[in-house]
Amino acid sequence: MRSDGSGSWPLSLAIAAALLAGCSHQTTHAAGKRMIVLGIDGMDPDFVARHWDSLPNLNRLHQQGDFRRLATTIPPQSPVAWSTVSTGLDPGGHGLFDFIHRNPATREPISSMAEVSDPKNTLHIGPYVIPLSSGTVESLRHGRTFWQLLGEHGIPATVIRMPANFPPAECEQESLAGMGTPDLNGSFGTFSFYTNDPAETRSEVSGGHIIHLPPKSTSAVLRIEGPPNTLRKDRAVSYVSLTVHADPTAAVARFDAPEQQFVIRQGEWSDWQRADFTLIPGIKSVSGIFRIYLQQVHPYWRIYVSPVNIDPGEPALPISTPADYSRTLETKLGPFYTQGIAEETSAFRAGILSKGEFLEQSRKVLADSLRMFHYELRHFSSGLLFYYFSSIDQNSHMLWGKYDDDLLDIYKQVDSAVGDAMAVPDTELLILSDHGFARFDRAVHLNTWLMQQGYLTLDDPTKTGDDEEFAHVNWNRTEAYALGLNGIYLNLYGRENGGIVSPADKEDLLNEIAQKLLEFRDPVNGEHVVDKVFFSSTAYRGKNLRLAPDIIVGFRRGYRASWQTALGAVPPVMLEDNNQAWIADHCMNPDEVPGVLFCNRKFRAAHPQMADVPATILSEFGVPLAPGMLGHTVF
Amino acid sequence: MDVFNAIVNAVLRAFFAAFSWAGTNGAWLSLTLLSVLVGVGMLWVFRKTSDQGAIRAVKRKVHAYLLEMRVYVDDPGATWRAQNSLLKANLRYMGLALRPALFMVVPVGILLIHLEAFYGRAPLEPGRPVVVTAGLRGNADGPPPELVPPRGFEISAPPVRIPDEHEVSWRIVPRVAASGELHFQIGGQSITQDIVAGGGQRFIPGRRVHSAWDAIWHPDESRLPAGKIEWVEVAYPSASLGVFGIHMNWLVWFLIVSMLAALLLRKRFGVTL
Repeated sequence: MRSDGSGSWPLSLAIAAALLAGCSHQTTHAAGKRMIVLGIDGMDPDFVARHWDSLPNLNRLHQQGDFRRLATTIPPQSPVAWSTVSTGLDPGGHGLFDFIHRNPATREPISSMAEVSDPKNTLHIGPYVIPLSSGTVESLRHGRTFWQLLGEHGIPATVIRMPANFPPAECEQESLAGMGTPDLNGSFGTFSFYTNDPAETRSEVSGGHIIHLPPKSTSAVLRIEGPPNTLRKDRAVSYVSLTVHADPTAAVARFDAPEQQFVIRQGEWSDWQRADFTLIPGIKSVSGIFRIYLQQVHPYWRIYVSPVNIDPGEPALPISTPADYSRTLETKLGPFYTQGIAEETSAFRAGILSKGEFLEQSRKVLADSLRMFHYELRHFSSGLLFYYFSSIDQNSHMLWGKYDDDLLDIYKQVDSAVGDAMAVPDTELLILSDHGFARFDRAVHLNTWLMQQGYLTLDDPTKTGDDEEFAHVNWNRTEAYALGLNGIYLNLYGRENGGIVSPADKEDLLNEIAQKLLEFRDPVNGEHVVDKVFFSSTAYRGKNLRLAPDIIVGFRRGYRASWQTALGAVPPVMLEDNNQAWIADHCMNPDEVPGVLFCNRKFRAAHPQMADVPATILSEFGVPLAPGMLGHTVF
Repeated sequence: MDVFNAIVNAVLRAFFAAFSWAGTNGAWLSLTLLSVLVGVGMLWVFRKTSDQGAIRAVKRKVHAYLLEMRVYVDDPGATWRAQNSLLKANLRYMGLALRPALFMVVPVGILLIHLEAFYGRAPLEPGRPVVVTAGLRGNADGPPPELVPPRGFEISAPPVRIPDEHEVSWRIVPRVAASGELHFQIGGQSITQDIVAGGGQRFIPGRRVHSAWDAIWHPDESRLPAGKIEWVEVAYPSASLGVFGIHMNWLVWFLIVSMLAALLLRKRFGVTL
């Protein structure tokens, strides 16, 4: 897979051929073939078509190769769609239906992608808990990935940042985990914001903590939180302290970390800072990396600290295969974002970062990604290279339809990367996105709608609000509830703890709710809110439906489930304007938000779908599809 | 102290320069030879300052007690007595080793402090910012503190004055591989400090100080004259010594080689350790 640049390649080739002939892998006719697949999250076919002139490489690919709209999954959510790309299974096969699932017994929201379990056997000594067996980190995605199948047939593959691939699928291929990789705290990304600005009164915002510093201080101690200390009985959060000193008048400050100092000016980002979070003093610590943005020095401190990322040089959790591959990348490239979704949309949504500041951080993420992409491109010599870009998706959420010029800049940078991939000779190039984009104008509180339709009941009807996890729901009188961005679940007897809907009544109830959803109109403009309704029992061919919502709601363009719905809240109104910085989305009717599929050769398939991508890759390398894979080659 | 430090520095710099022919291998080669010489030197000091007869006697006893424990393994009483005696003999051995250790600790300690400038600090990486700090007597009142970097270096942020700590810090970025002198002008005092970026491992002074006591621990450059500035420091990254592809702190290699040399050459020097 790696070119060593030596001049003895004929000998190396002969040795490699002899080794391949003798190894246990099944070999294929595709030895020496090269294919690059670029996964560009959220690239929208209409946006691309509107800007062909500004995207010369995609335009060239369109002219010289081919371009199609790529049908997305039900629902059109990234972990769901990319899992279909990884495995060739539909959500009913790979078992991911949303970013968020629920535990049927408790109805608590849980991550759909991975589960971390503590060690089963432990020894308690004083305040410490000594593990006698390993804890586990388990991917919840089912099915064999296309790069595992390639590996089994002796085809080398490098797969960088494939979403929902945390922990990475076990194999000998080189891979780096993508979306779903947590920060060191175990969340999808929790920033910290330190301030003594009296105007800032919040202490918690979605995706971040706000820490209040003493007033009128030119020096302050920042307590940067790491992971909960699982080696202590009280699971106290580990932390490192940073002292920051401001110049009395100038907008500049010096940060003193335990082993390093750095100076940053107001409006600047620091380089990556590495910190060891002590779990047992002198014995065990975990390493994390973070960046600091000095937003303001005078008259008040305003300091943003990024989520603490898993240190790729000393990963505390498995983030690559082979396990030391992240260390290899770190040695070659320096520290890089390991957090699955690195763009700081949460701080922008919370009003802590401005649009300009968000864009600057986002450019850093893309620069980080392009650096790694070019490294992989330089070292790619045979087999498959898959590389994933998150920037268009995350920026589209914040810029779509309102700041198109800024968004186009991101598209242009990705287009430039496409050009670099096109320059690799004798290589098949496939480019896809998992979904497109649409405006998100109106937020739908699905639980409130269910309540108003009589399917969900509160203990006290006045207790509507933003309390999450169905805080005031009376489960003895609730037939259905919504969680995640597209899902409605029945409170089913025998499945949900204390469920009241008899399995015999399930189908009638589903049909009744579906009919009402399709009739649901926005009282403000009279428009239908929902375009399509899907039942998991019939929408999927796979039968791995244990955690599937019973109904998947295909919202009309412009509508989406509210943030409150995603975590089980029941606000007082059914619909409200989306006034947040997150102005666009794709968790709607899948027909409205298709992805893109480009190639440097012609397609035969007129209407390709996500599952066709892995089928095409395997077919190109002469590797048979695994049982249950649904797609067909597009050629 | 200045004269002593200058002499030690000059000798070490000459020694280090003698390995310039080895290019990037010069650092570990010179340190290896130096470690062997130190190992031999320690043997000589050990022979001259220790009671070799008493050491030989106590080592014989240690062997005897170990043998006793093996022979009388079925006799708990005898084993227990042998263990007690073994412990006492070991303590006696450590006592005998204490005298030569005391003779060695000062010169070896001084040598190690000096060697930090040769092996412990890596040159600054071009393009990567670094913090330069001046420690002051009292606050930085009066005219604003000034720092003029040499060619190839750039100040990339205004100075940070920290009254509580009596310090001023600058952020400096080496744009290319270069070396030269930083010129500080603070409270009417002008001083210089060497700065080094890029290139291979070499002598890199870390902190320049005024106080005689501090100069023991920071002997790389001549002491600062009395005035407003107590010390100046460039925060160099730590160097790692690469030996056959394995990277480690230079002190680890120094200890391994010097102890190994002492162990291997002890009979040739007629020393019982």
